[in-house]
Amino acid sequence: MRPFTLLFLVAAVCGLFFAGFSTWDFVAHLDRDVHDVHCSFIPGLLASDTSASSGCHVTLMSPYSSVFRATVWGGVPISLPGLAVFAFLLFRGLDMMLNRREDDKRATTFLVLAAALPALTSLGMGYLSLVELGAACKLCIGIYISSFVALAAAIGIRAQGVGEDMVGFGREFGLSFAEGVGFVLIPVLLYAAVSPDYTRYVGSCGSLAKPEDANKVLLPIGQQASGKDAVEVFDPLCPACKGFEGRLTASGLESQLKRKALIFPLDNSCNWMVSNTLHPGACMMSEAVLCADKNADAVIAWAFEHQDEVRTAASTDVAAAQALVVAKFPELKSCIGSPAVKSRLNKSLRYAVANQLPVLTPQLYVQNEKLCDADTDLGLDYALTRLLAGQVGSKESK
Amino acid sequence: MNATVHAGLAVACLAIPTALVGIGVGNASAQLAANEASASEQPQVAVAAAADEGYCSADLKKVLRRVLQSCGLLSSGEVRGCQPLEAKSVATLAGDDFNALFLPLAERAGILQFDKESSELDAGDLAMLDRIFADQRGASYFFVVSRSSPEGSEVFNRKLSEERGKAVLSHLQATFKDQDLNKEVGILWLGEEFAQLDQEFCSWQRSGDSGACQSQDLNRSAFVAWIDCRL
Repeated sequence: MRPFTLLFLVAAVCGLFFAGFSTWDFVAHLDRDVHDVHCSFIPGLLASDTSASSGCHVTLMSPYSSVFRATVWGGVPISLPGLAVFAFLLFRGLDMMLNRREDDKRATTFLVLAAALPALTSLGMGYLSLVELGAACKLCIGIYISSFVALAAAIGIRAQGVGEDMVGFGREFGLSFAEGVGFVLIPVLLYAAVSPDYTRYVGSCGSLAKPEDANKVLLPIGQQASGKDAVEVFDPLCPACKGFEGRLTASGLESQLKRKALIFPLDNSCNWMVSNTLHPGACMMSEAVLCADKNADAVIAWAFEHQDEVRTAASTDVAAAQALVVAKFPELKSCIGSPAVKSRLNKSLRYAVANQLPVLTPQLYVQNEKLCDADTDLGLDYALTRLLAGQVGSKESK
Repeated sequence: MNATVHAGLAVACLAIPTALVGIGVGNASAQLAANEASASEQPQVAVAAAADEGYCSADLKKVLRRVLQSCGLLSSGEVRGCQPLEAKSVATLAGDDFNALFLPLAERAGILQFDKESSELDAGDLAMLDRIFADQRGASYFFVVSRSSPEGSEVFNRKLSEERGKAVLSHLQATFKDQDLNKEVGILWLGEEFAQLDQEFCSWQRSGDSGACQSQDLNRSAFVAWIDCRL
């Protein structure tokens, strides 16, 4: 066996390995539960990531981890066609070796073109992961490296081949391309076909019992176009809320919502319903959001961007965290901490009491129907699309 | 090219992603069904509720409920305030025992001290009242217990304590514009003849001259506090 052929086969197997673990992690979430994910260059040998904060978890929960999200719950994981492409590369590499076609220019040229696909995709996904998400996912990096090595090896195989005959390449390309399409389509269509039916969960997770906002505690946020009324329960220093906002924006469904925020800080300095402060400084930050009123979107965006900084400062001194906010928004200085805004924040919490809401964030109620907690990440596009269309499922599954 | 080898390899390699999808989705579906079946055994998320602090004993709640019902808080809100004799009868307590009900609220309560024969809230009173009222937390009821010192007639003092209680309510209504105010704020005007505050309350946060704490200073007052009990 030629060295470049061996290298190509090893790269294809490694790609299969990493893409396989990535797909497996994604598919495990189809049970709507929370799972550890593999996040290692030797997945399966090291313990899974349980922190939910690793680059692999961030990437998996991001809008870029799957496609066709509005059609299939969670979407089709992008790693699944990746897995299929590596399986195809392995097939082509083995076929070329066993049928002694390493000197066949037509076969090696196609191999280069086929290997270029995952390499180009890796460039795009790597950019999204590192630049857009700011996350380094070890499984993904394994896939990227496998892709680039496979392409380099394919180029090496072609360069070392002695044959020059390209007659009939068009026909061979067409047939081989069709094989490749089949390799991708068969597992993807199978995935879509055997995925469980999730429609029965939509609209079955509760509703607002007393949606009237007599005390005007709900704060308009986001686009206020002619969308459907929605109440979003969130904490400006909650990482999950930040992630939810990103997914909602990426889904493109935000424009169909007329959102109002119910500020619900998970900080026991103002919220008696939480025994331990999960997000230090969240009460102060919530007051800042309420003080901003019509400018709330800007304060929320800043809070999301500086969550770690504010929480860290507040964990030792809330005044220091407040100074960060006031430095950015000096007009809020006299309002934060005032009796009026404390009272308004308290009324916000009491709205949650009146509606007997679960003590967690984020939550989204569309026309008073709750988006299930299990649908706030991977299943967001699927469930929200149906909730907006009024396609609610059976209440039996509540 | 050996077509058999080609086809065999294709099937074998295609089996990898296909099998992974079949097994993975099958496992997830089975887990989904198992989760649904055991949904009632899963730990439930806490539900938002009003505060119910440790000092809210059954006995305290019983007395509070009587007082609140008598004073209109647990009804439509049409009745506002209690007559001193009513308070005494519904509480069925001696004055000292009645005051003892509020001792656990030392950190939550304040005493607004008025000038003699006055029901006007000065700047210090207003600042303290706003601060205490804004710090509702999970409390459901705000008590205003207004009193008068014993100088003057009973009738005058009863009227004066009523005006003091209503001055507090008027300020809260004007300042906080809270739609729930009528369901939350209860006033008892006790005049001079029931549950006068003793020196024990001198250490509580008070408006006015913090150095002066004679009996008449303490009782020309409105005692204000959120009650962290669910009834």
